[in-house]
Amino acid sequence: MGTASGIIKALNSGVKHLAIKRFTLRYPEQKLKFVGDGYQYDPTTGVGIAGYKGRHMLFHDKCTGCQLCAIACEGIAEAIAMVKVPEEWKHNKKAIMPQIDYGKCVFCGLCVDACPFYALYMTNDYELSSFTKEGLIYTPAQLQVKPDVQQDAEIKIDDRGASHG
Amino acid sequence: MTTQLPPGLSLEKVDEKIMTLNVGPQHPGSGHMRLIIQVDGDYIVACDPDPGYVHRGEEKMAEYRNYILNIPHLERPIIHDSCNILYPYCLAVEEILGLEVPERAKYMRVIASELNRCVYIQYWLGIYGIFLGHSTMFMWPMGDRELLIDLLEKMTGARVTHSYFIPGGVRNDLPANFEDVCLRQVNYFEKRIKEYADIFYDNPILIHRTEKTGILSREDAIRLGTTGSVLRASGVDFDVRKKEPYDVYEELDVHSNVLKEGDSLARSKIPWLDMLESCNIIRQALEKMPKSGSIRKKLKPNPRGGDMSVYKRVESGRGSLGCYIVSKNKPEPYRLKLSVPSFRNLIALPYLLKGEKLGNMPAVYWSLNYWPVEADR
Repeated sequence: MGTASGIIKALNSGVKHLAIKRFTLRYPEQKLKFVGDGYQYDPTTGVGIAGYKGRHMLFHDKCTGCQLCAIACEGIAEAIAMVKVPEEWKHNKKAIMPQIDYGKCVFCGLCVDACPFYALYMTNDYELSSFTKEGLIYTPAQLQVKPDVQQDAEIKIDDRGASHG
Repeated sequence: MTTQLPPGLSLEKVDEKIMTLNVGPQHPGSGHMRLIIQVDGDYIVACDPDPGYVHRGEEKMAEYRNYILNIPHLERPIIHDSCNILYPYCLAVEEILGLEVPERAKYMRVIASELNRCVYIQYWLGIYGIFLGHSTMFMWPMGDRELLIDLLEKMTGARVTHSYFIPGGVRNDLPANFEDVCLRQVNYFEKRIKEYADIFYDNPILIHRTEKTGILSREDAIRLGTTGSVLRASGVDFDVRKKEPYDVYEELDVHSNVLKEGDSLARSKIPWLDMLESCNIIRQALEKMPKSGSIRKKLKPNPRGGDMSVYKRVESGRGSLGCYIVSKNKPEPYRLKLSVPSFRNLIALPYLLKGEKLGNMPAVYWSLNYWPVEADR
């Protein structure tokens, strides 16, 4: 193949892409849709349930303050600290619950695997930025809130190429 | 002042004609590494790679954590290929703890690691494009990589650093309808990467730039102990997936791509051909995978290994990646050694750059499929 015909072929390949769809996620307006409500773990079968590993969600009515999540995190990121909570639960005599520092968390989900009481799950919320370092520390009360996420963009593939909906 | 400076820190003329140049460690092209190059005019006389700027002590860190807690930090050396760096670790730990992996989990591992290989190669290819001033080749792989990142995100729950493999299987089952989505996106991905031939690999400008630069002969490739795409571009048919099949690779039809030229063009073509092969393997694995069943052997807390040592290796995106573990009746490994392909391919660089023009340095350097963070561990 000659040099000229090779360059024309390369240019032609680029020009063809003017006609196909744009494969760009327009992020703040569009958000990618994830499967399920986030990563969860079933301690009876020992198998996780597929989902995005985002911010955690803590169920106060299930957490017993056993510290297993903090022990699991000790060798990984040291992001979990057990703190006193004002509420009193029958199953949580010591009244301690995990507080997570998202400045340290690596979102591996091994704390979820460690929880034997279905108390700690992960959610689809990944927009955690904060102006201060303290703002990244989520207290048990903040972790209790179910995040309100609107994610609906999906990759669609047709004859004119792939696009985000 | 008579203090002796370490080599490379003196930026003077070595003699009448030769001058020392530092490329890196802050150079955007070199990665976190420095190349000490001696030039005679425009020609390179000698090259001394100086890695080690991102050494993290992964191997030492592994000695203080048990077999499960080692997972998140061991995939940090190469976050784009995190499944493949965990693969030999998991295989070795399974042998130490005597775990049998369920059949479905083996196929899921193959799918995850092949997807991850493509994600890594697309990232590498994008940087190779921008190294050679081809900005379209930066945009296209980065965009098409999103298709596979999306699949891995659905499968594992994270875009990079999946922490998906675990000794005894994988951590979570596939989401509903994953097979159809995977097949559709992988087919489209394959169609897209075939288009790279026209704009990049058959492009006369790229061919003039990379052909016959940095030729590594077959004998040198074997003598220097290179691996992966560098070895296969020099005409040696060595692929761990084919020669020492692990998990279910022996049931799959794996074809290893070999080119004879041994120049930068051949070295940059092999990973691209590997991606096409990976698409084939993913399709085969999706077809043969059992539709349901167990995916993970449940582990006891703090499992203890026996008194033994195990070496396992897999084919990663860059070459054979090995993991050697010595266990001494403790929950933690006594010693963990990662034998990484990046470091082994780097040894070829001084031989390849000798006599090349300085302008060809990026084309030769990045064609070695080198990842600085992985080489330093």
